[in-house]
Amino acid sequence: MPHLADLYRTASLLLRDRHEAEDLIQDTYLEAWKSFHRFEMGTNCRAWLFKIMFHRLHHVRRRLVKTSRVVTIDDPDGQVELAAEPVVPQEIRDEDVLNALEKVAVEFREIVLLADVEEFSYKEIAETLRIPLGTVMSRLSRGRKLLRQELAEVARSYGIDPCPKQAGAAETA
Amino acid sequence: MNTLGFDSERCERIRQQLDSYLSNELLVETATEIVCHLESCEACSRDLESRMRVRDALQRAVAKQPVSDSVRAGVLRKLRESQPRYLVRTNGRRWAVGLAAIAFLLFSLFAGEWLSLYRGEQLIASILKLGVSDHLICAIKGHNYPELANSPDQIRKKLGAPYAPLLQVVQERLPGFEVLEGHVCSIPGSNRKYVHFITRGQGTILSVILTERNGASLPKGKFLASAESAGLSIYEDHLSGMKIAGFESAQYFAFVISDLSQKQVLQLARGLAPALNEKLHTTALMLTPNANDWAADAVNRPILTETRECHEKGRCRVQEQRQNG
Repeated sequence: MPHLADLYRTASLLLRDRHEAEDLIQDTYLEAWKSFHRFEMGTNCRAWLFKIMFHRLHHVRRRLVKTSRVVTIDDPDGQVELAAEPVVPQEIRDEDVLNALEKVAVEFREIVLLADVEEFSYKEIAETLRIPLGTVMSRLSRGRKLLRQELAEVARSYGIDPCPKQAGAAETA
Repeated sequence: MNTLGFDSERCERIRQQLDSYLSNELLVETATEIVCHLESCEACSRDLESRMRVRDALQRAVAKQPVSDSVRAGVLRKLRESQPRYLVRTNGRRWAVGLAAIAFLLFSLFAGEWLSLYRGEQLIASILKLGVSDHLICAIKGHNYPELANSPDQIRKKLGAPYAPLLQVVQERLPGFEVLEGHVCSIPGSNRKYVHFITRGQGTILSVILTERNGASLPKGKFLASAESAGLSIYEDHLSGMKIAGFESAQYFAFVISDLSQKQVLQLARGLAPALNEKLHTTALMLTPNANDWAADAVNRPILTETRECHEKGRCRVQEQRQNG
């Protein structure tokens, strides 16, 4: 099962619960197995599996929203401009980037994971999530910026000025 | 005023496109415009660098997340349980387990094959895009060639010992074209090295670009059966107004890129392919697996090597490396 690890990692980072993620992966493969006749030979099998997983995930998410475990956002398409460009630290630890990712709202987190980790194209992401291409672009842009902002916060929480020289140099530019 | 100094409309416009640039979703022309801007704008370069740093850190961190065996076991159990009841009833659980195992074996084999094919196509698209970008940035826009052709000795020195013998083939097999320049270069964001010959003829600039295959293959659908040359299949494509014709040798891809007609480019590639293929075999023999790494190739390096190198954050510069003083 060559895609299992990719699917599971994405699911666990979105659901933040190992057991929920395992259930989701089981459901995804079962659904894939049942509807394998609908898979078009020569098309992207990996994207097809992710599409099934996200379809199932939306059901799970609806259930989780009822128990208030998912943070929803007022601005899902990222129309509101963020403040100045956050300055991220030069060295980023694994745990810091994962902690920062966890704080990014799930609507943005899923797109950042699909684009930056799974390296799907905008078109594939739009098809997987069933959203317009423009929404993919705006959410990705905002999601990446939120992640950078969270990383800058993480650095500050450690009492580290992320990049003092750089910030100083920029102000004089 | 913001603290990063994006003080011009141009910077703001470029910055809005950096996410698409990072995702490789821009047209070559737009990507080229961004690369050129990055060369002269420190603030935007720093912004791109920061975005790349976060993306790379995220990829690394996620890849290290463990996936326990229980995930796979859980999937198999779920599938086994979902098998039709009559199979379980007639001959016990073994049938169901066997069927599930076979199904998943087939599924996995198919998925693995597909994944390999898909990634191969993605790789080729990326190689071609970078190759055309190289031609556009380095030859057309960057004008990295002299009006009067460099001497063959100068070009050979720039190419280094392993690639120097290719010059003669390009000179002889592209009738009506003068080789102006030859060097090894790369494109921002990619570690891939391109051996780049810039030639002039028929009123235009034409590039011959070679790059290592690393096991990848050109998509079979775009080979022209009618355009074979001495047993070599010629591949054709086009991108951003440029016509591309190429072939694959044992270890290299070779592309002819120009804005001439597809027919002309094909004809030139056909003339070049057999001799270049033969010479590339010799080149491959000369290069150890790591010899394409410039640092590892110090023994074969000329006294002065000028390498146009584009750094990851998008800055291009000419680097001079001197040996023995």
